Amino acid sequence: MFFVTYLRRELRRRMRQAIFIVLGLALGIGLVVTVTAASAGVRKAQSQVLKSLYGVGTDVTITGKAPKPPSPASGPPKNGQTFTVGPGGGRVCTNGKCHNAAGQTIDSLDSTSYSPISQSEVAAIARLKNVKAVAGGLALSDTSITFPKHFGQAGGSLPTPASFSVQGADTSHVSLGPLSAGTITAGRSLRAGDANSDVAVIDAGYAKSHKLKVGSTVSVVGHKFAVVGIVEQPQSGSPPQVYIPLARAQALGKALGKSLKGDVNTIYVTAISAANIPGVQREIENLLPSATVTSASSLARQVTGSLSSTARLANDFGRWLSILVLIAAFTVASLLTMAAVARRVREFGTLKALGWRSRRIVAQVMGESLAVGLIGGAAGVGLGFAGAAVITAIAPKLSATIGGSTGQGVASAGTAGAVGGGGPRFFSPAAPHTVAVPMSASVTLAAIVAAVVLALVGGLLAGSFGSWRIARLRPADALARVA
Amino acid sequence: MYQLTDVNKLYSKGRRTVPAVRDLTLTIEDGQWLAVQGKTGHGKSTLLNLLGGLDRPTSGTIELDGQDLTRVSEDRVTRLRAQSIGFIFQTFNLVPTLSAAENVEAALIPLAVGSAERSRRVQAALDSVGLADRARHLPGELSGGQQQRTAIARALVKAPKVLLADEPTGNLDEDTRDEIINLLEKLWRERGLTLVLVTHDTGIAQRAQRVGVMTKGQLKIS
Repeated sequence: MFFVTYLRRELRRRMRQAIFIVLGLALGIGLVVTVTAASAGVRKAQSQVLKSLYGVGTDVTITGKAPKPPSPASGPPKNGQTFTVGPGGGRVCTNGKCHNAAGQTIDSLDSTSYSPISQSEVAAIARLKNVKAVAGGLALSDTSITFPKHFGQAGGSLPTPASFSVQGADTSHVSLGPLSAGTITAGRSLRAGDANSDVAVIDAGYAKSHKLKVGSTVSVVGHKFAVVGIVEQPQSGSPPQVYIPLARAQALGKALGKSLKGDVNTIYVTAISAANIPGVQREIENLLPSATVTSASSLARQVTGSLSSTARLANDFGRWLSILVLIAAFTVASLLTMAAVARRVREFGTLKALGWRSRRIVAQVMGESLAVGLIGGAAGVGLGFAGAAVITAIAPKLSATIGGSTGQGVASAGTAGAVGGGGPRFFSPAAPHTVAVPMSASVTLAAIVAAVVLALVGGLLAGSFGSWRIARLRPADALARVA
Repeated sequence: MYQLTDVNKLYSKGRRTVPAVRDLTLTIEDGQWLAVQGKTGHGKSTLLNLLGGLDRPTSGTIELDGQDLTRVSEDRVTRLRAQSIGFIFQTFNLVPTLSAAENVEAALIPLAVGSAERSRRVQAALDSVGLADRARHLPGELSGGQQQRTAIARALVKAPKVLLADEPTGNLDEDTRDEIINLLEKLWRERGLTLVLVTHDTGIAQRAQRVGVMTKGQLKIS
């Protein structure tokens, strides 16, 4: 085919120039592909972080506001246990009655990070427009301290409390909430029939460190729960360590000494579609003005740490760098193509004298430019894959801290005051939570399509300037210019 | 047959207007060989460009077989060039990246001739100029004479009615010049071409049926 032969020969004639253009385009397109892959990797990491917090399919999470710690002046609560250290030594107060702490054990299951929300609100949210599914949950902390018999004597020290996190999960909606993100590695998950049973699913890390397996028992405020399954959450962090049926958590848990029967402190909501999420979020905020309502996107804005920095780097710096390199590559390609056309004026004049129409010559030049563009695009995709592989190979794990800006702090165990104020970090969107996620840049089909489109645009742009000149070229002028 | 009537071609050079062709009225019969002589810059090449539809006159009419080249569309003139007018240039004007055969083939591209027919006609054209064995050579691998033969084959492969040659021997040595002129004369006779040949060489001009001299844009036929 004459068109292809002519195109091939012409590109071979100006091989160095063609290679220069190809390299320029490849660099620009490769950078775009790499940055897109890195962005996709960062998005994936963000999504992993958010998914682990939210659970698969959760669009909006509602948590009760952070409870105020009881003031010392108010005295011990009438319900619940507290421990105080005074001049007379340690004292344990149970339901308002206080005793010497020596030789005693106190164990509590408390809602330390969030105030309770009535479970009736779960039903109210379920009735809202565009809400697909709702599940309530209780994020609790089981903390126990055993005081030695000689506690309070000279040389005695404050014992270290033992604590673990307990998640009351709605057994009829386990597909929503923290359990949904995990993978059951042994046994089974909780199910609807477990609602009032003393069964538990244990986090894989917790199970390993405490040598627990399916069939073992775990003690929650002195109640034995049979372990029916082991769950592994998607990434490291601090997921709940023990999952028990919500009804059991409500029966055993307390918030500042008050029973949590009929309460939850976390509500997981799925909207009918992604487009409905902001509207659902607004409606819930109106319904529960004192609660904290977060969606994946609002939570994503709270992400700090190296993941956030990398996202900014990829999205802002990377994008602008790619655009600049692409503009430079397109400009160089256009200038070189115009220079090539200028050198070939006699050739085009001769072709016009032979009866070639301008559009036929333009097509020839555009064909050459497109071929160079496509080769540049292919090389760019190759470079993009290489860049993505390098990022995946050398990128360190990214840390993401979420929830710190919500103002909800995490109390530490062992401080003077209510024992219920202590506990491990909760696995919840509103609590500060730092996780390490691997960064992997993967070239997506969309990035490849974008590369091909850019290559075509680059080729067309470069060719169009030269073609414009050819179209305006009068054959007599072209021939006279070189005569 | 060419019929030129009161043809003028003016060029602007800065603020000045320079007449390249002035008040030219001329008839060139079919099959006639007209040699045009004249000093450089006196309008010889402009006349060829006007005859070939590569340029349009400022005023006057140029008819080829009854079609006024000054009035028809650019597309029509281009088609006419593709079908009926062959060009030969002093500097050969071959595409350097294409072989001799491909250069000849280039003249058939606008005519949408099928691939097999193109090959046959290219081979025949190269045969007729004695270059069948150089078909795959690039212009850079050919001598000046061979390049001009290739250019002649390219001009004739489409079997034009008119052949316009702008100093076709200007870049050749004496032996090659004679060889090319002999070839052109032979083809002119065999094919009944209308040949308009611009040359500085009086010896070549005298072989034509008619000789004209361009002086300051005016043609005087002797």
